[in-house]
Amino acid sequence: MGKPQKINLKEAASLIQDGDMLSFSGFTIWRRPMALIYEMVRQGKKDLHLFEVNGGTHTEVLAGAGAVKMWESCWVGHELYGKLGEGIARGQVEGSILVEDYSHAHVVARLLAGAFGLPFFPTALSMGTDILNPKFDMLGKAGLRDGSNPKIPLKKYDTIKDPMYDMGNILLMPAANPDWALVYASQVGDEGTLRVLSQTYVDPEVIKAADKVIVIAEEIVPDSYLRDEPEKNIATGYAIDYVVECPWGAHPTGSQFFYDVDADFIRQFYTASKSKAAYDKWAEEWIFGVSGHEEYLEKLGVNRLQNLRANSVLGYSTTMKRGTR
Amino acid sequence: MTAQKEYAKDYKPIDMLAVAAAREVTDGDIVFAGTGLPMLAIMLAQLSGSPNAVCIYEAGSIDGRPIDLPTSVGDSRCAYQAALAAGLTETFYGQLHSGYVDLAFLGGAEIDQYGNVNTTVVGDYASPSKRFTGSGGNPDINSFAKKTVFIMLQEKRRFKENVDYITSPGWRLPKWPSGEMVPKQEIYGKYFQGGPSAVITNMGVFRFDDNGVMYLDTVHPGFTAEQVKENCLFDLNISRCKGETEAPSVEEVELLYTKVDPEGIFLP
Repeated sequence: MGKPQKINLKEAASLIQDGDMLSFSGFTIWRRPMALIYEMVRQGKKDLHLFEVNGGTHTEVLAGAGAVKMWESCWVGHELYGKLGEGIARGQVEGSILVEDYSHAHVVARLLAGAFGLPFFPTALSMGTDILNPKFDMLGKAGLRDGSNPKIPLKKYDTIKDPMYDMGNILLMPAANPDWALVYASQVGDEGTLRVLSQTYVDPEVIKAADKVIVIAEEIVPDSYLRDEPEKNIATGYAIDYVVECPWGAHPTGSQFFYDVDADFIRQFYTASKSKAAYDKWAEEWIFGVSGHEEYLEKLGVNRLQNLRANSVLGYSTTMKRGTR
Repeated sequence: MTAQKEYAKDYKPIDMLAVAAAREVTDGDIVFAGTGLPMLAIMLAQLSGSPNAVCIYEAGSIDGRPIDLPTSVGDSRCAYQAALAAGLTETFYGQLHSGYVDLAFLGGAEIDQYGNVNTTVVGDYASPSKRFTGSGGNPDINSFAKKTVFIMLQEKRRFKENVDYITSPGWRLPKWPSGEMVPKQEIYGKYFQGGPSAVITNMGVFRFDDNGVMYLDTVHPGFTAEQVKENCLFDLNISRCKGETEAPSVEEVELLYTKVDPEGIFLP
């Protein structure tokens, strides 16, 4: 039983190799490991294979940087603050990114199988859709289902006749076991016990499904504090390999009870993500133009961050202006 | 004695849309809702005719009682006073696959006459001309809810004879591997629970006949059935149109602007 090793962001990003298969914590624009994503772009990662329950701002930062080769997921966008995932969309249309679509629950099934050490997980959700159209097995069409890449299953899915209760046809979704889970977490104990402070999304499944886990934590706290209420925790320390303490590490995505989504920042990024030239200009300012996370926070400024800070009782900002009134 | 309902004289098309959608909820329904207008509809329903309706958001909140409007389903506001703040395994498998969900409130970019919805691509998937966001949980929720209500904008290009890509299952679907089009029941077999029951736009309310084909049920005040038909690429059946959609009441509009979305997030 090992405790996770404490490292810094640069060391964490340097562990990721070009071509690795990655999955992430969070949901769309919530609890994404953004500080680590920026550092990966700074280090020039490429050919990444993303497998995720849905994409968000982190996906688009990687896609815009030309770091993504394969994207297996079901959705990408920035919610209310950017209606499409422009970088992934451009990559799919131009043919530079191989996109394999599943449904949300299909991706969950694949992560569940991966997390539980099962070869596949059954589901009857989203049958009769083009997601299952054999013509649209894009990894298969690219000749990648020949078993030579251990992270790519031999089939996109299979259909079997229920042998137990005669319920008819049901789908089998292959396990996903990414090389890395890149996780942003609210609190990590000094022995690695992990807690998030609201909806758990698929964080527990992603952690267990991945071969190795890097956590960037809003704060490191005594493990004894988390062990006082074990029912609130979502992962054990021995499932975590590396921890980086990184306050505001999810910005501009939100982290419940710490800070809200930075809507203006994401809107500006979304606008920039619509062309390669505008993305590069944005990245020059926010990724390459700062030496690291500390300078990034300094550039954001205290007033901006203060405005996003969550109310400690409600868990979200009650001071920021959200709508037109 | 019940007081005479007073109808709003001044309201926007989006208000009508939210109100018409909210009226699809039966008190006590377990509702699985997506982001945006579906959120307005379920929250308005809970504040008006259906105080016992329960709302599930796919990111993990189950029966939350938000006091501030969430802007997305992953928002912490969704989980305020929730029965469970769980994750997607619970919402998609513990709640949906297990059969609890009565009503789905969803959006869509394009729809066809059978209620098949596309939120994935324009053109051939293998070489598309445009990518939308993708499925998200739309097809999952729609495939297992007993009823689905789609909330959409009425535009000619969005109401198509056939959608380019079936992201979310309507009443007639391809059976793989052949792709032969068959009724939804044939594909879902013993898992069959229902399917699209209504489509609500800024112009009218649509329902589906026994063959799973869409027809115009009511037209919103200020529009005619012919105008709605002109805003569809397929030959919409308007022969069953019952007349005008019941207008929003003063109370419903007031709830929308003072309780559901006082900050002007979805209602500018």
